Amino acid sequence: MKPMNRREFLKRGLAATSVLAAGGNLPSLLRGSGRLATRTKVLVLGFDGLDPRLLDRWLKEGKLPAFARLISAGDFRPLRTSLPPQSPVAWSNFNTGTDPGGHGIFDFMHRDPQTYIPTFSGSLSTEAKKTLKIGNLVLPLSGGEVKNLMQGQTFWQILEEHDIPATIFKIPSNYPPVPTEQRTISGMGTPDLKGSYGISCCFTTDPDIPKGELSGGRVYEVFVIGNRVEAKLPGPTNTFKKDRPEALIDFQVFIDPNHAVAKVVLPDQEFILKEKEWSGWKKVQFGLMPTQSVSGICMFYLKEIRPHFKLYVSPINIDPAHPAQPISTPGSYAQELERVFGSFFTKGLPADTSALDNGVLDEGEFLEQDEMILREGERMFDFEFERFDSGLLFYYVSSTDQRQHMFWRLMDERHPGYDPQLASRYGNAVENIYVEADRFLDRVLQKIDKDTVLLAMSDHGFNPFRRAFNLNTWLFENGYHRLRNPWKQEAGDLFDNTDWSRTRAYGIGLNGLYLNQRGRERDGLVNAGADSENLIREIAAKLEQVVDPKTGERAILRAFVSKEVYHGSQIEHAPDIICGFNLGYRISWDSPLGKFPKNVFEDNKEKWSGDHMGAPEVIPGVLVTNRKVRADSPALYDLTATILDIFGIPKTKEMIGETIF
Amino acid sequence: MGKAKVKLNKELLEKVKKFAQMAGYSSPEEFITHCLEREIAKLEESDSEEEIKKKLKGLGYIS
Repeated sequence: MKPMNRREFLKRGLAATSVLAAGGNLPSLLRGSGRLATRTKVLVLGFDGLDPRLLDRWLKEGKLPAFARLISAGDFRPLRTSLPPQSPVAWSNFNTGTDPGGHGIFDFMHRDPQTYIPTFSGSLSTEAKKTLKIGNLVLPLSGGEVKNLMQGQTFWQILEEHDIPATIFKIPSNYPPVPTEQRTISGMGTPDLKGSYGISCCFTTDPDIPKGELSGGRVYEVFVIGNRVEAKLPGPTNTFKKDRPEALIDFQVFIDPNHAVAKVVLPDQEFILKEKEWSGWKKVQFGLMPTQSVSGICMFYLKEIRPHFKLYVSPINIDPAHPAQPISTPGSYAQELERVFGSFFTKGLPADTSALDNGVLDEGEFLEQDEMILREGERMFDFEFERFDSGLLFYYVSSTDQRQHMFWRLMDERHPGYDPQLASRYGNAVENIYVEADRFLDRVLQKIDKDTVLLAMSDHGFNPFRRAFNLNTWLFENGYHRLRNPWKQEAGDLFDNTDWSRTRAYGIGLNGLYLNQRGRERDGLVNAGADSENLIREIAAKLEQVVDPKTGERAILRAFVSKEVYHGSQIEHAPDIICGFNLGYRISWDSPLGKFPKNVFEDNKEKWSGDHMGAPEVIPGVLVTNRKVRADSPALYDLTATILDIFGIPKTKEMIGETIF
Repeated sequence: MGKAKVKLNKELLEKVKKFAQMAGYSSPEEFITHCLEREIAKLEESDSEEEIKKKLKGLGYIS
């Protein structure tokens, strides 16, 4: 039987409500045509990275009264996270009720065994296969597409099959949104207009700031000539042109000679910014060919006018009014939100952590941007909560995760990036986001009715990232990885110095280690079967013994053999070993992309100073709910089974969780 | 197929002829075409690798 669409469902719900108001009997009236309609409500608040130890600490200090109230009425449990505890993996566990063996997302990045090159794990974009070349233009004759690589059925798709309405606000690993008529807007994994996870721009006259490509950004040199700056804002690759140039928008900035004010002039608009002022969202239109353009949105921030001009422009987000890529279901939902709220953040992780890391934004400026993200999301939550009268509402908060990544160093005196001066100003930035989460929860608790099941949860916890482990360097030093020119160990990347004919293992991604297996990898060397299994056990055992000479601590708490820990049809794509790091440790900055720094261990002095790549048992997430929890040790995939159970829906055969109530 | 002449110095041309024959190519032209195609493919591939790196770096987890 064809599932009922949302409109049909709402029509029936309205009819049932009318009868109920006239004194009818609810359960029998809501069962129409053999379909289960329900007035049961489940509200899920997803606080990315909320850590149970920090939550407990600030609960005990009385700083989180709303969480305390909720816990006293219900329960609080550490929530078992995914292996590895990376957000795309963990949220996929929750979305599908499986583990990576079922949903096939093992890491932020996978690898192509034929090229040994990393690939995006979450989505795959393909360009038009058929094109027509006319002069300098390449016209697509068949549409390109973008595909969500998460396997399995999400809980909101299953709810839909049972006519339970759901609104899913920015849940990670849902880009592009999986097919459904439910209201969903994509979250983590949604790219910017350039197709990246976020590339900002800084236009400056400061000679001391290095120009060019940075990690997650670009710095352009500009000149102030007669109080005027001319620059070009880079947009997406223009695939309509044969040489695929970047689409560009010319703009000018006119600087007031007497005041700290400037006018930004774009082709179709102009606005005035004071020094240290954010512009709010501005729409920008990139022309691709005479009849084609693509629309984006971005924010300008006039960081400094004198002595050096510094203008920051955020990554260009997909315009929700005219999405260049699918970001919602139905497609009109993004436009509906845009009509109500105007432009809004569509990039998966909106806070520009790279700009803070690169010094383009300072701590205070980053927090200003994060504040905008929080307030914008909260307004959207209020809007959805107002019309939440049945089914499920999921709401996602990214700031809990992003602030811990960037500010852990300022609350941890042992961290190599600890700065006492900055700590005196921003040392409470992490605590503040927990207090902010509590304030938000308080507002929800004031509005929520007693019959609504509330699940406040996180995908993983957090820990300091003090020391970095160069997995590929360790493999090289231990003879598992061979370089063609060992004296050039530190040069190059993406394994361009690797002698694959003699290499037995390599690391790609944030937790993954692969064997160079015959018949699977292009130049595979290790036979499948007993040879591979023996080598996996040998390497795993050695990895668990690696001790950091500086601290005397083990870097890797557990090296998991993927075949033994995953369930489902996707296991063949898994890394052979998943490194579960010890507290305080993480993979290095360089190893994930096939580099071989000189030392196995390094201090992490970056601003990105908190992380969550540990063995799952040391990085649990959080579950706080207004119901008593029967399960001692609930897991992310248990929540999926629980949600279905609340609505009286049995879990699917692929799901591995159990209800927690 | 369009044709164009490419100048090679005498020494290189002799090597091309020699190795084309040794490697079993039917002609020096076929050998040169193959070499050029292989090198161009590498360049095209490295462009896309650069793109992948840039995109992944925006995540914040790698440098």
